Amino acid sequence: MCDHCLKHGTAGKWYLNARNYTTEVLDDINIDEDFLKEFLLEQYKTFESMQVRKLAGFSAVGLGYKIKIPIIGRITKYFAEKMLHSEKSKFNPFQAEGHIGQVVPLDDAIAILENCVDENTIIMKYCMCRFQTRAEKEACCINFGIMSDIIDKLPRFIPEPEDSKYRLTKEEAIEKFTEFNQKGYIGTIWYGAYPYINNLCACKTPECAGFGPRLNFGIKSIFMAEYLVENNPDNCQGCKRCITMCQFGAINFNEDTKRSEIDHSKCYGCGVCVYACRFDALSIIDRQVIPTLAGKY
Amino acid sequence: MGKTKIKIDYSVCGDGNKIDPRECAICMKVCEPALFLLHQSLEKFENDNHYDPQIWRITPVYLSLCTHCMNCVEGCPEKAITVSW
Ligand code: SF4
Ligand code: SF4
Ligand code: SF4
Ligand code: SF4
Ligand code: SF4
Repeated sequence: MCDHCLKHGTAGKWYLNARNYTTEVLDDINIDEDFLKEFLLEQYKTFESMQVRKLAGFSAVGLGYKIKIPIIGRITKYFAEKMLHSEKSKFNPFQAEGHIGQVVPLDDAIAILENCVDENTIIMKYCMCRFQTRAEKEACCINFGIMSDIIDKLPRFIPEPEDSKYRLTKEEAIEKFTEFNQKGYIGTIWYGAYPYINNLCACKTPECAGFGPRLNFGIKSIFMAEYLVENNPDNCQGCKRCITMCQFGAINFNEDTKRSEIDHSKCYGCGVCVYACRFDALSIIDRQVIPTLAGKY
Repeated sequence: MGKTKIKIDYSVCGDGNKIDPRECAICMKVCEPALFLLHQSLEKFENDNHYDPQIWRITPVYLSLCTHCMNCVEGCPEKAITVSW
């Protein structure tokens, strides 16, 4: 259980605590709903330029090189993590402050949609990460709460009518999310901003700006899931479908046994492979049961 | 190997000039590590965080990820990109 769960969770998981989806939590950090709305509106209007703006003299441009410089590297990493994990209430809307997330497999995503989210506020908007890296418009970001009040002021994120309807019922949202998961997109749940939860994303690498810093430079921009996946070699037929679907290179093929093997140290616990396997060989297990990986998010 | 430098000629692409990168975007689509970032241009407005919602440009961000495949250089219809290292 990570710090966030200890402080903000019920049943051990911060994202299954319905209170974190209500504006009531904003009292904890002494800000009000209007302030957060203004903040999010400003942030989303110019979302794509966040990475090129300078923070304390640094921007993300050339980050890979900066991190390799001995002292500057450590400082850059320190500042980036400090900002993403920020719990302070005076945000700068031009940085991704307090915007930290965690991978969630399908079952937890469904539990979030069923139990935590206010049905009247569910919307689906275009993914910013795919737009800012590929100029592609794909509606796969499920948002709720305050976001539903400001989305009409952000018309460029609203899916075109032929694409899809953007205010969803719980059932529609669950159906959409299940579809994304089957396509191989990684479920992620995000604070926006801490401690308020408003984003359930369906991500793809290398486009996702949330995964990029962690996968490329080891900055903890996102936490691994509470889970891992386990392979049952009796069922595995060695078809390699799971290997193709895993976006983290966490599954290897064992040429001797002709079975796939999960590299637990790389597994984010997204569960995408579980639904890809047609032979019921993969199952989700609690991260805590593997002593060396317990608590390693 | 030296550091990769990627230059985009903004007098041709972006900043409200001939090509709107939101429409072309070829370089962004052919780059395997997805290191190009499409964003509203801040050049003229940097100081007060203002921007024009219709004026965009592309910045190569994670330069260290470049594989020197040259897909972007070869794909750019305006020859507006140079990659060196
Ligand atoms: S976090 Fe994921 S779904 Fe959300 S905008 Fe980024 S890639 Fe898209
Ligand atoms: S998809 Fe299932 S059967 Fe195929 S290799 Fe992976 S675990 Fe084995
Ligand atoms: S091996 Fe882990 S990271 Fe890869 S798809 Fe399966 S659950 Fe996700
Ligand atoms: S050379 Fe290849 S890897 Fe480098 S920026 Fe161009 S397309 Fe991307
Ligand atoms: S391919 Fe060339 S013209 Fe097209 S968006 Fe990229 S830099 Fe601009």
